[in-house]
Amino acid sequence: MTAYIVRRLFATLPVMAVVAIFVFFLIRFAPGDPAAIIAGEDATAEAIAQVRMKLGLDRPVLEQFAIWSLQLLQGDLGISIFSNLPVTRLIAQRLEPTLALTLSTLFVAVALAVPIGVVAAWKARKLVDRLVMGFAVLGFAMPVFVLAYILIYFFAVQWRLLPVQGYAPIREGFWPFVESLILPSVALGVTYMALIARITRASMLEVLAQDYIRTANSKGLATDRVLLLHALKNAAVPIVTVIGIGIALLISGVVITETVFNIPGLGRLTVDAVLKRDYPVVQGLILVFAGAKVLVNLVIDISYAFLDSRIRY
Amino acid sequence: MSGTPGPILEVRDLHTQFSTLDGIVRAVDGVSFDVARGETLGIVGESGCGKSVTAMSILRLIPRETGRIASGSIRFEGEELTTLTEEEMKRLRGHRISMIFQEPMTSLNPVLTVGTQIAENVVRHLGVSWKQGRERAFEMLDLVRIADARRRLDEYPHQLSGGMRQRVMIAMALSCDPQVLIADEPTTALDVTIQAQILDLMIELKEKTGTAIVLITHDLGVVAETTERVVVMYAGRKVEQASVETLFDEPLHPYTRGLMRAIPRLDVEADAAGTRPRLQEIPGLVPILTQPIIGCAFAPRCGFATDRCRRERPPLIDAGAGHLVACWEVDRVRRAA
Repeated sequence: MTAYIVRRLFATLPVMAVVAIFVFFLIRFAPGDPAAIIAGEDATAEAIAQVRMKLGLDRPVLEQFAIWSLQLLQGDLGISIFSNLPVTRLIAQRLEPTLALTLSTLFVAVALAVPIGVVAAWKARKLVDRLVMGFAVLGFAMPVFVLAYILIYFFAVQWRLLPVQGYAPIREGFWPFVESLILPSVALGVTYMALIARITRASMLEVLAQDYIRTANSKGLATDRVLLLHALKNAAVPIVTVIGIGIALLISGVVITETVFNIPGLGRLTVDAVLKRDYPVVQGLILVFAGAKVLVNLVIDISYAFLDSRIRY
Repeated sequence: MSGTPGPILEVRDLHTQFSTLDGIVRAVDGVSFDVARGETLGIVGESGCGKSVTAMSILRLIPRETGRIASGSIRFEGEELTTLTEEEMKRLRGHRISMIFQEPMTSLNPVLTVGTQIAENVVRHLGVSWKQGRERAFEMLDLVRIADARRRLDEYPHQLSGGMRQRVMIAMALSCDPQVLIADEPTTALDVTIQAQILDLMIELKEKTGTAIVLITHDLGVVAETTERVVVMYAGRKVEQASVETLFDEPLHPYTRGLMRAIPRLDVEADAAGTRPRLQEIPGLVPILTQPIIGCAFAPRCGFATDRCRRERPPLIDAGAGHLVACWEVDRVRRAA
């Protein structure tokens, strides 16, 4: 098992390298000139050229790439064109709210959606199942921002139970921190939950029709043991896969959610940096998001091997 | 074995039905039989004759969404099973009545170790610790003659051959010393050499433990080798019942005769040209069970059938010494032997 994990870890390196190369060139070839934006609307051609030289944008692209990759290998993501702060520091400042939002969403969604899916499959075609799946379709069809405004209107504006927007860092107290996360997590998590619940149900239904479930029932095992051990462990691989795929969904959802709830996280940083063509920041952010995604995939791949002993790569 | 005298299992006039889009399927249509303590009873018939459904009915494992036991009685040790609660049934399954299935390749859970799957049965029903459960699992694997049993406990089903998996199923089914073991086509999916080993093992363990076996099969060869009494089923009904010697000496139902003529035999002399008589199939198809069957279910395929056969359902009659047969024309059949 250890050898397998180490091998998988090494396999992520080329992936990250490809992502880095791709990100760098994608941004260079996108339209728009950061030097012109920085120099301002009325700037002369010379002023723009000067800014371009200062930023190193006048050098050949390959040379720029070489400099950038060497810095990257040392953990240096460069300096923001606008704020003149190191990109790593900008990202570090914004990391906590985003991490808190995605992890709480992930945790709540999985903790609710998997049991819901299991019950739906167990009570397939009964009332509980139809209700759950009805809500799942609704949840899946609802755009994040629409749900977010509905939630804000009722829970924050009408009933004044939760803050309208903003983020309270955890060091300012646990409850304010949790309160500030509830509405964004629900808004962000509903689509994700619907997805996981549906896959859990489908996967469980397939497994419950298998011969070994009949065997488990013929042994007179308790229902919870049949459902949660014999069936769910077999149904787990597709569920875990979709949880992983859903992380990408969460990351794109984070951008919208943070904007609606005015949370100073990586999503907001991304939107701002893209609008301003702040190359180093955009590059750094894409690398961080890609790294997160690769890491999630790694965890999922490793979990397969724990769930099903037949799986080895 | 303690308990009351008399049969350990009594099935009376069992009707099991399934609702389908085409109507109600009468999969088991009034079947009765007894299983004596420590006996091996064979239930024989073609695919779709209701023999597996009979087995599943005894354990009440008929899927509730589509099927149900419509009427009849199933008594185990004198206790009526059809009216027990699901929780009471669960205490019985795998403990006092257990079951093994046709497909050893798919009947074991692929993601749980063999040891866990045997031990959980023991822990569930005998209330022992997991450690003791594992020890029992080891004893059972050893009993079904799996070599290196200690190591096998921690293996997964995909690491075992088909024959070994069926041994594991047997070990699991017998781990709580059940009074009745229902074996639904236990050897059908196995190689012929392995089939013999598994059957021998089942019979040997039966002698050792006194567990009664209900052996469900379409294979008359298996029946001849292993069982003491035989029930022949056709279209959800019992058509003949006899001791295994009587049945093979003088089968009385035309259907049973048809089945026997379909067995390949080596002791039949070849003729001058060197050809042996062709195996005879039974003409026609098994009836569709969504329509209530009037008269004898076998009549459309039967060479002896008369108008009465097509009109009136033949009752089971005793043709002597407990040899039961449901046929109006039994005297003609006997003379035609």
